[in-house]
Amino acid sequence: MAHDDPRAHLPLTPIVLHILIALGDGERHGYAIAQEIEMEFYGAIRVGPGTMYGSIQRMLGAKLIEEAHPRKRDDADARRRYYRATALGNKVKQLELERLETLLRYANVRRAAHRPGIA
Amino acid sequence: MIRALLFRTYRLSLRLYPPAFRERFGDEMVDFAESRMRDARGTAASMLAVCRIAVDLSASVPREWRNLFRERRAARLLSAANPFAPRSDMDILRQDLRFALRSLARRPAFAIVAALTLALGTGANTAIFSLVNGVLIRPLPYPDPSRVMMVSGTQNGHGAQGVVYADYVDWVQQNRSFAELGVFRPQSVNITGSDHPDRVIGSFVSASFLRVIGAKMTLGRGFTDRETDPRTKAPVAIVSYEAWQSRFGADSSLLGRTLVLNGTPFTVVGITVPNTPAVYGSVDVMLPVGYYPNAHGLDRGTRGVLVVGRLKPGVTVAAAQHDLSAIEDRLAALYPTTNKGTGAEVQPLRDALVGPSDRTQLLILLAAVGVVLLIACANVANLQLARGSSRARELSVRAALGAGRARIARQSLTESVVLSLVGGALGVALAVPLLHWLVSLVGPQLPIDASTIQLDTRVLAFALAVSIATGLLFGLPAAFKASRVSIGDMLRVRAGANSHARTRNILLVVQLALSMTLLASAGLLVRSLIALQRVDPGFDGDDVLTAQFRLPASKYDSPDKITAMFDQTIAAIRSVPGVQAAALVRASPLSGNGEQYPFSIDGQAADTSAGAPSMLINSVTPQYFATMRIPILAGRDVAPSDRAGALPVIVINELAAKQLWHGESPIGKRVQFGEGWWTVIGVAADTRHFTLGEKPLLQGYVPHAQRPQVFTSVVVRTNGDPLRYVNAVRQAIWSVDRDQPVWRFRSMEQDMSAAVTAPKTLMWLASLFAFVALAVAAVGVYGVLSYTISQRTHEIGVRIALGADARRVRAMVVGEGARLIAISLALGAGVAFAAARLMRSQLFGVGTTDAVTLLAAVAVLSGVALLACYLPARRASRVDPMVALRME
Repeated sequence: MAHDDPRAHLPLTPIVLHILIALGDGERHGYAIAQEIEMEFYGAIRVGPGTMYGSIQRMLGAKLIEEAHPRKRDDADARRRYYRATALGNKVKQLELERLETLLRYANVRRAAHRPGIA
Repeated sequence: MIRALLFRTYRLSLRLYPPAFRERFGDEMVDFAESRMRDARGTAASMLAVCRIAVDLSASVPREWRNLFRERRAARLLSAANPFAPRSDMDILRQDLRFALRSLARRPAFAIVAALTLALGTGANTAIFSLVNGVLIRPLPYPDPSRVMMVSGTQNGHGAQGVVYADYVDWVQQNRSFAELGVFRPQSVNITGSDHPDRVIGSFVSASFLRVIGAKMTLGRGFTDRETDPRTKAPVAIVSYEAWQSRFGADSSLLGRTLVLNGTPFTVVGITVPNTPAVYGSVDVMLPVGYYPNAHGLDRGTRGVLVVGRLKPGVTVAAAQHDLSAIEDRLAALYPTTNKGTGAEVQPLRDALVGPSDRTQLLILLAAVGVVLLIACANVANLQLARGSSRARELSVRAALGAGRARIARQSLTESVVLSLVGGALGVALAVPLLHWLVSLVGPQLPIDASTIQLDTRVLAFALAVSIATGLLFGLPAAFKASRVSIGDMLRVRAGANSHARTRNILLVVQLALSMTLLASAGLLVRSLIALQRVDPGFDGDDVLTAQFRLPASKYDSPDKITAMFDQTIAAIRSVPGVQAAALVRASPLSGNGEQYPFSIDGQAADTSAGAPSMLINSVTPQYFATMRIPILAGRDVAPSDRAGALPVIVINELAAKQLWHGESPIGKRVQFGEGWWTVIGVAADTRHFTLGEKPLLQGYVPHAQRPQVFTSVVVRTNGDPLRYVNAVRQAIWSVDRDQPVWRFRSMEQDMSAAVTAPKTLMWLASLFAFVALAVAAVGVYGVLSYTISQRTHEIGVRIALGADARRVRAMVVGEGARLIAISLALGAGVAFAAARLMRSQLFGVGTTDAVTLLAAVAVLSGVALLACYLPARRASRVDPMVALRME
């Protein structure tokens, strides 16, 4: 299933993109990713454990993220595993964001064109 | 508490995910959910978080399975040359499963109703089975539990008595069956020397007892044989882990410290591991048996201790019994005065702990929920049949395309089992809160530690087995019918519509008959409870306060000191404002305490045969009868002048007066028990002592002053609510001895209502199950008749068109239902008689063939069932003939 061509992964589902963005600056465990996403969106987006780990499983399979090497931590909870984005993951995220930006620009142009009073 | 339960439920529900996913992410998901709950502040936020996690669960479980199947299919398409032809049984199963899921998904209403019905049945069964498992099946928490025996004494053939310590010593020396025998004697222990005197649960044990139960220590050590031997005893104590945590703040310096227990300083030498059971529940402290405080507790002739033993490998219970009986016979010859008529009884420990009554009650409940499940099965089977009719066409097509009968039946069964497994999974989820509720309800009455009852692997295996069995059971009729669909049926669109009518009617009759059985059985339990609550206990329990205390033998070491303390205590209590009367009694009625002794009567030959009666002997102070309002029928009450040194006197009860002196006046006659002869001075009315339902006992009351004992209960008659006097009575006792702990303050009313708790719980649960059964059966009747009528709309339309009026149509439909109901009632009544016979031991004051109960059950069942018939009948009578005829 793993494709080396980053474009083969596009478009991303919203949750996958959120996770990749949340992992932008380092490694986090599942709950921390969820907290990060919720904080960014002021709680408008909620992610449950099943959704989170279902996505993590598929992203691991697609090699978009990988498990961070276990090392000694102060908050060492044996159950927690940490994840970080792979180079492929970062590349895919970049491409998806670019795609969305293009989309957004296009939509804005169309909206401006159809605004009543202007047409 | 609730959180722990939620987490457990969540952890259990993780099993719904595909196994590989669960293994990889299960722990992380639990951590996720726990973190989420921890961060949720306030009740509303917590509830919202719970809801969100539940929504997430229900959305992501199907997604993970779908993904898994998608991946597998992709893999198969890549690998297999011909993926379409099923080759092995596994392939057929997979195909059937896929088909079953699709077919159920197409009819979600049916699937949901059926799964919920089954969930209710499986859930209730799983919860009750958890109780049965915990009490009757799961091994006791001792090493090699099947070899642990309870050895009780017997007296003239009466079993379950205590053991004489001296006899125990002889058993240890002479037996060849036990690897180890140990004594123990649970008893409350006064703890003093801290800020206020208190009482802890103690057990006086031998070192060998610790070895029999396999007790292990967190800190320190167990006892040595030398320390517990009464001749070489040493003041050492073992504290339980739980008491160490709660009472001593888990301070490890407790080891080596001195505790003042029963007035004697003991050095703590060990702290047990958590959850160390001590046969009858757990205890706070263990002390060497040599310190057992009762004056004659270890003498020959006093049944002071209890004995457990571990059989040598390969020795049977019968062989051990034979061995000990032979020793007892030798002892009886050696010590005829004390050991005449005594014996020993070897029993597996569980049999000794779980009485036949507990066993019967649990099995009654299990049978009742089993019946509820059967009724639920019949309902779902009927739904399946109705559905089968409408699927006749689809099945015919499949048969025409070459599917064999076995293949079609197999497919139909697979569908049923899938359904029942879904119901079972929901049922297990339902069983968790249900069991929690049940344990809170019946926990205190269980003969084992209620905290050990949980959904373990055995219970889950049971739930799985029940689910599969129910699936096969309710699926069989439909599968059988499905396999007999002929290809020709395909041509006749409405064929098969009524071909299931007989099967459906049989199922209906079974349902109603089983409901009738449950209703009648529950009715008998209701009548028993009413009879039990109407029993006259022989005393007036309103406005009476009771409490217990035990004087430390080291401080009160002479009869005079005990008597003086008791006299002052009563005087102090009587001076409390609002107290009308007060007295002391060794064992107040319905408190669970009380001792029965063999006795003989002056001028009559002593009866030492097996089954000879014994007498309940109670020590009382003057005014006991007045305080409890027990009428004195002849002679006089115990008086202050009946003191040590005066003529030993006894008040007997009415039953003893009638039975032992055959109509002659017993006053002035003499009775012997224990140490000497007692002269009868009065006759009191009979009272119930151990249970309200017991047969009246032979009773004797002797003056406390002539038979002083350190353990006693106080009974106080008060003006108004007795529980308001707890503090005043405690202070009155403390005004005599500031170091004396007093416990178990209860009103007599509390004891009387506790005496009916067990039958009340059984009655409530049985009634609950009976009404659930009735409701499920009524839904069944309604469903089947509605379905039949919808199939007969055409016929009814013709009837109405031809002039039948609404009343006649209604009568026709109700009449058909009534015929089935009548058959069910007759069958149900028969089964109910048989069931009543099995639960006879739980009945009181009502016969197994009680006409009132039976009539009531008939009335309730036929009322509800006829109503369930009437609703579809009314609909039938409103059929518009034009609409009905146009349907063709």
